[in-house]
Amino acid sequence: MKGMRKILYLAALGVGLSGCASTGAETDAAKPAPATPHLASQLPKPMPAPDGGLQAARISGKGAILDPFAKEWSQVKPVKVALQPQVVATPNNPTPAVSEINARAVHNGQWLAVLLEWKDPTKSDRLVVDRFGDQAAIELPVFYRADSSPNPMMGAPGERVNIIQWRAAFQADLERKREMTIRDNYPNAATDLYPDQVLKAMDIRSYMGAAGVDNPVAKHRDSPVLDQVAEGFGTLSTKLHQQADGRGVWKNGVWYVVIATPMHQEGANAPQLIPGNNTVISFAVWEGGSQEVGARKAWSDWVPLKLVK
Amino acid sequence: MPKVYNWQIGREMEYLYDEARPKKQFAMVMDTNKCIACQTCTVACKTTWTSSRGQEYMFWNNVETKPYGFYPLGWDVNILDKLGVQDIDGSVYKGKTIFEAAPSGDRVLGYLPDDLDYAHPNISEDDSVGSMTQGAFMQVPHMQWMHYLPRICNHCTYPACVGACPRQSAYKRPEDGIVLIDQMRCRGYRECVRGCPYKKPFFNSITRVSEKCVGCYPAVEEGRQTQCSVTCIGKIRLQGFITTPQQAREDNPLDYIIHIAKVARPLYPQLGLEPNVYYIPPVHVPPAYLKQLFGGDVGSAIATYRKAADDKKLLGALLLFGATPDIMHHFKVTDRFAIAYNEKGDELVRVPFKEPIYLRPSFDEAYQTVRSNIT
Repeated sequence: MKGMRKILYLAALGVGLSGCASTGAETDAAKPAPATPHLASQLPKPMPAPDGGLQAARISGKGAILDPFAKEWSQVKPVKVALQPQVVATPNNPTPAVSEINARAVHNGQWLAVLLEWKDPTKSDRLVVDRFGDQAAIELPVFYRADSSPNPMMGAPGERVNIIQWRAAFQADLERKREMTIRDNYPNAATDLYPDQVLKAMDIRSYMGAAGVDNPVAKHRDSPVLDQVAEGFGTLSTKLHQQADGRGVWKNGVWYVVIATPMHQEGANAPQLIPGNNTVISFAVWEGGSQEVGARKAWSDWVPLKLVK
Repeated sequence: MPKVYNWQIGREMEYLYDEARPKKQFAMVMDTNKCIACQTCTVACKTTWTSSRGQEYMFWNNVETKPYGFYPLGWDVNILDKLGVQDIDGSVYKGKTIFEAAPSGDRVLGYLPDDLDYAHPNISEDDSVGSMTQGAFMQVPHMQWMHYLPRICNHCTYPACVGACPRQSAYKRPEDGIVLIDQMRCRGYRECVRGCPYKKPFFNSITRVSEKCVGCYPAVEEGRQTQCSVTCIGKIRLQGFITTPQQAREDNPLDYIIHIAKVARPLYPQLGLEPNVYYIPPVHVPPAYLKQLFGGDVGSAIATYRKAADDKKLLGALLLFGATPDIMHHFKVTDRFAIAYNEKGDELVRVPFKEPIYLRPSFDEAYQTVRSNIT
């Protein structure tokens, strides 16, 4: 079984590399450079290849680093990471829109923060039946050994990974600062009374579908990221305690997304993030405008990640 | 892909999972000849299940006018077009199912409707095929025609929503075959919306996950029929449980109608899902269209239905539609009655074959008035 998985994985790499050369770049090649001063000069010129991996620079301060335009980011050079189509599991999209991202990382001993930048001419954060949201994720192994990394494709049984996913729709929740209503999606909608306007709070849960059972994607959120674990395709599950955080800003055709996670966590779902140590990290991007969602995504192989002491 | 047996297409077919038939299979028979599209079922379902935020556009039950009515727009013609020409003659379907026709990288052949496809739930209501010309006259099948098609989730034996979901959020209950979407596990990828050819999973844009007809499972668990069945004023629906043709029980009214008398047919069996809502075809509609809708045996189904008076058991089973809110597991007919029983064998209802006629005098002495409604 394990051998079969490796073969599939290698096959995916082959298809992925040939696939990404012909896609993505075409769709947004003509877009102007971002206007943000300190990033504008850096986005087009990342480090040539992620061979040496990503170095999470040590910065001062406490708490989560969430601002994608914070001055600390200028201390580290972005690394270009190639993304490939996910084609091992079904359903899949062999031609995802985003073929590369810029990544950089910093930490302050308490929080690790990763800044992802990718070109996306359309900001997609409105979800209706035929509209999907932009999303990005980082993946960290829960247990890392230099001689054997877990399967980068969402882990495998016994090879648990921590996947922290940022969603543009959650970001829109935060900026709205109130519960979403039907008129946010359909401005001219006319509605009658809802059960929650006439029933007592304890009686409305059964009328609220996914929100009534506290599905984490169904509620108005305080954070735009979901902190999750997986041991293979189809197993992605939300952590009981949501500690990760993040922030995404779309500006002039570029998404700037910070995903931050505490470095000291307890339990079987916590990645080992110790200053001075090495681990690996991988990335995934979903371009909502191309109806990318779930397994229809672009992903990267593991990239070495050094946490500077 | 595993091979499973689909009796509706008379052969083995590919499916995403192994064959795992439930202990009992939820099923419904709808007599399209009796439906008047009053939408009482639609409203009963709406007020019971989809009155909340994000469900404004949803109709888990809908009634559309065929052939030009659709909810969502073009749902059936779109998937038939994608599947291509289908050879549905004979007892074995020779074409491909939507599982066998899945494009590379997909689990099933499907498509995602546009948001606006849901904007006109009763489009083409009562629109007929053709126009009345000089010399037109009444004949069967009709020269100009339309018919009503009430629809719920088919709680398929091989659900495309279950096959399409990469997270196993959609599942089929082993106890009664009802297909549900786990509201905790679903992440709103909409693979079920894309995959289901009947387009009965719906995306809720407020909770950001998908929902579907739940087969009124809290009622069914208590031995009661679904809301759309018990509220039907035309008594066109019979909801209960069905077995396979090999295990058909003559005293189960659904088995008798579907497997033994064979007067009710599944909707688009060629798609390969083994849907469990069965339709008694409309007798006035040209057979060519009905064949596309209900498969090859539709002609004999209509012929048997039109002679239902000759088969007392069939007539008895048809009389049970709408006769009680409880689920009828067994039935028998006597000279005068069709009698239905619950799972334990307790009598639920007895329906007379011939309604007794009571005649009242046309002049009411008590009120010193003349009555016209004397029967």
